Amino acid sequence: MPSLVDAARSQVGRKILSGITGILLGIFIIFHLIGNLTLFGSEQAFNIYSHTLESMGIFLYLFEIGLVLVFLVHAYIGVAIWLRKRKRRPVGYEKYSSMGDPSKQTFSSRSMIFTGIILLIFTVTHVATFKYGDTQMITVDGTQMKDLKALVINTFQNPWYVIYYIVVMILLGFHLRHGAWSAFTSLTMKGGTKTSAVVYTVGTIFAVLMAVGFLFIPLYIYATGGTGALIAS
Amino acid sequence: MSLASNVPEGDLKEKWTKRLNDINLVAPNNKRLYNVIVVGTGLAGASAAASLAELGYNVQSFCIQDSARRAHSIAAQGGINAAKNYPNDGDTIWRLFYDTIKGGDYRSRESNVYRLAEISNEIIDQAVAQGVPFAREYGGLLANRSFGGAQVSRTFYARGQTGQQLLLGAYQAFMKEIDSGKIDYYPRHEMLDLVVHNGKARGIVTRDLVSGEIRRHTADAVLLCTGGYGNAYYLSTNAKNSNVTAAWRCHKRGAYFANPCYVQIHPTCIPQSGDYQSKLTLMSESLRNDGRVWVPKDKNDERHPNDIPEEERDYYLERKYPSFGNLVPRDVASRNAKYVTDEGRGVGETGKAVYLDFADAIERRGRDYIEEKYGNLFEMYHKITDENPYERPMRIFPAVHYTMGGLWVDYNLMSNIPGLFVLGEANFSDHGGNRLGASALMQGLADGYFVIPYTLGDYLGGEDLDQVEGNEEAFEEAENYAQEHIDKLLNVEGDKTVVEFHQELGKIMWDKVGISRDEEGLKEAIKEIQELRDEFWERVRVPGESANYNKYLEFAGRVADFLELGELMAKDALHREESAGCHFREEYQTEEGEALRNDEEFSYVAAFEYQGLNGEIQHELHKENLEFEFVELKQRSYK
Amino acid sequence: MSNDNMQFDLKIWKQEDGDSQGAFQEYHMEGVSEDMSFLEMLDLLNEKLIKNGDEPVEFDYDCREGICGACSLVVNGIAHGPKEETPVCELYMREFEDGQEIVIEPWRAAAFPVIKDLVVDRSAFDRIMAAGGYISTKTGSAPEANTIAVDKEDADKAFDYATCIGCGACVAACPNSSASLFTGAKISHLSLLPQGKHERKERAVRMVEQMEKEGFGDCSNHAECEAVCPVGISISAIARMRKEYMRAVTES
Repeated sequence: MPSLVDAARSQVGRKILSGITGILLGIFIIFHLIGNLTLFGSEQAFNIYSHTLESMGIFLYLFEIGLVLVFLVHAYIGVAIWLRKRKRRPVGYEKYSSMGDPSKQTFSSRSMIFTGIILLIFTVTHVATFKYGDTQMITVDGTQMKDLKALVINTFQNPWYVIYYIVVMILLGFHLRHGAWSAFTSLTMKGGTKTSAVVYTVGTIFAVLMAVGFLFIPLYIYATGGTGALIAS
Repeated sequence: MSLASNVPEGDLKEKWTKRLNDINLVAPNNKRLYNVIVVGTGLAGASAAASLAELGYNVQSFCIQDSARRAHSIAAQGGINAAKNYPNDGDTIWRLFYDTIKGGDYRSRESNVYRLAEISNEIIDQAVAQGVPFAREYGGLLANRSFGGAQVSRTFYARGQTGQQLLLGAYQAFMKEIDSGKIDYYPRHEMLDLVVHNGKARGIVTRDLVSGEIRRHTADAVLLCTGGYGNAYYLSTNAKNSNVTAAWRCHKRGAYFANPCYVQIHPTCIPQSGDYQSKLTLMSESLRNDGRVWVPKDKNDERHPNDIPEEERDYYLERKYPSFGNLVPRDVASRNAKYVTDEGRGVGETGKAVYLDFADAIERRGRDYIEEKYGNLFEMYHKITDENPYERPMRIFPAVHYTMGGLWVDYNLMSNIPGLFVLGEANFSDHGGNRLGASALMQGLADGYFVIPYTLGDYLGGEDLDQVEGNEEAFEEAENYAQEHIDKLLNVEGDKTVVEFHQELGKIMWDKVGISRDEEGLKEAIKEIQELRDEFWERVRVPGESANYNKYLEFAGRVADFLELGELMAKDALHREESAGCHFREEYQTEEGEALRNDEEFSYVAAFEYQGLNGEIQHELHKENLEFEFVELKQRSYK
Repeated sequence: MSNDNMQFDLKIWKQEDGDSQGAFQEYHMEGVSEDMSFLEMLDLLNEKLIKNGDEPVEFDYDCREGICGACSLVVNGIAHGPKEETPVCELYMREFEDGQEIVIEPWRAAAFPVIKDLVVDRSAFDRIMAAGGYISTKTGSAPEANTIAVDKEDADKAFDYATCIGCGACVAACPNSSASLFTGAKISHLSLLPQGKHERKERAVRMVEQMEKEGFGDCSNHAECEAVCPVGISISAIARMRKEYMRAVTES
């Protein structure tokens, strides 16, 4: 029997690992979105939320290191599969079409490497903008904290930034549409035709919710100049 | 050469045990010293190769397909018989034996058939242990169904794909031995000749179908498991690559060809739709369990079948054979389909079809029941004809399906050439003049799993075989002959294609050596085949070259052999002045139009010896008299 | 009456042998009946080519009734062509539009090298099978068949996987050239039966390893394989393969 390390490097192991890391990232973005939605809460809710996270100290660092690792493993497997795939079919088809249902082959499934790389680049710029961006300090209830809310609102006054975010979030939706289906299929190790249809539909709904949730924020801020009714000030 | 059938003395029930008690054995650690060639990887070949390799023999296995799993046994649909008596309906080994010998119209060897029935149960055990997913009852035990020619339910099945599942079982056992290193595996290789050295079969010559390379292979024994020769008719239910070449080349090296005229025409096939048709598709005969066969009472009735009222339909099998009805044996069903279409009562665009109607069964048992039982067959029919058999009757017509004749073998399955064994459909044994449904799978696996492992050991253990290296004169000569034959085919450079010749041969065979035959037609057929053969060697056009993948070159060699075999089939049919099983001679029938045997004069196996390598083809007839000690010969009646 | 004079523009991959470069060649076909099978249409093309002294097009086939798994053509970008659950030997010309262009290519995968034209070498499948795709039962050692009861449901499911014809369409259609459906089908068939449970761990591990060794790609759950499979094998086979594999490596 192969060791667990060998098993993790096998075709089955890689897929399981990709599924696990994918689901962890999925869970992360759910919480990320919930956190972001505090922008629509009370005036300082977003800043308090961010400050609470930052105050976790060592735990935050550990969490961040873990997240980076998960992200890198996920990306590494994805890139490795894609590189291998090219060798697996050195001469491509002149004409190639999908048979359609029950195939789950779509733009989503075929563009995972593309959407994935975009998301990787995006993540770096996103962290640079908001984690390491210039912020003012403010005092809320006697506590000093960064005014991240102002940074977010200011950033999304730039239309190019907004377009960038919207496009990437749409791509995220595509990535999640196949990713959610694929991860669940790999991990539950079930997959009758009917189950598959249900899993795929649920995955698609999840992907749409995430994409719409994330892109709504910059769009709304830009459209209302940061003073919309949903944003308390 | 005399035809010693080599059947053990004694009571029928004791013969096989007696043989097992008496045979020579090869000691376990000596088996690795013997090399055995197995040609073909169908049920007989794969089961033989796997079983012999398990015993320790070094096996070299050859098949023309790209994988052993594609041998044509894969296409058998209906099932496999065994005398398990699970349904408690009174089946016994004797009954299975009796039904088989009666179904074969008393033209098979009693002792072989009895052994087959005896072994039948072990085959089911073996297949189940291998993981063959047979149909089961809700309690988890095996299910059975009934089949033509029997009044008990003794057929085990895996939906309509029993052959596929049994073959995959044997193929898996075979792959296991490849894994263990006991089988050397040569897919995409065609056997072109047998090497007979010092009077014994010691090797074969093959062509690598990818590189075109001709090679010699040496062995201590050669097992031929190469199937039947139904493609002599061009259109048949056989796979396109099924052929007689391996058997025919052995025949030309001295192996007797027995009963070539016994060809089974299966009653339930999808009718031909045009001249371009390349093969016919069988619909399992199990369909006759629930389908009713009919034609309109009036000639040229062009109404939609559903518009023809009950009283204007002729359920001719039920009318003529009240006790067996739609379940009469295959030959009877086929012949009657020919009669009604010859009368002009055939249906469909070509008029060459009869209806097989499931409306009653669907009404009685529900569509789900029919779907569960025959779903895949109905789908296949729908795909091919674009007609939905749940809504209108199927159209069916007989097609060449199985050849009972083949190389002559003794009780040990050895041909008259020592060291050449012939298994499965390639031999002539067990089915006499007609094979019952669900018996082919039984015979192929019986031969491969449970007969040859013993009888081959008997031969090897009892012979003093000298070493062969492959450079002996016989090998040289065989290889040269194979190469010359190929060159000759390529060098004709004529203007007619191989397929055209094959189609013409097929038409002669179907019209004159088909469902029913007569003296005049057979004589014409012999002459026409001879002329066609001459024309072939003057006008055939084989494209491409020999040192490359070349399907039409393969076909050319096979058609050349069919052109010789066809003549022998007609000669055999002409000399057999009786009707027996599938061999129906117009001149020999009862007043009721049934086959009339002549047991006095023709109760023998006709084994033909090939004479002359070039020029005129001559054959000498050898007779193996069939002695029936244990059954009484009766006129078959399914009334 | 059926249409007996359909026309098609065929674009077919021609390749002399495994070492040569291939290229497409175009042929115009007339006089095609809608009741012809796709392979009979190619037969007719070959008859014409041979009569003209040209090289015929080589393609694999045998039973022509959908069970042997030999036929292997990608027709207009789809393995076995456009009709669901139908191998190309059972595809009829009535599925095409009169006058249309039809592109015909071989299975394309590094693990299935081209032998000539549309004929490929699928011996990798045999080697995956040899790496454990069986139940080790020596001839003669089997117990009486009905001493092994199998739930009807399990037997039926096992059959659904065992019905694989080994054609390789799953690999041909998979964007990654993965053989997971083929391998998974055999692992699933055998692991569902009580007879097959004894060797299940070794079987799963060895077959998965062999699949990789043969150069088949990763499964990315596109499920295209299920869509083109001529016998409708579900991707639940792949799920079961993963489960069997993980069971083997996690349970000692």
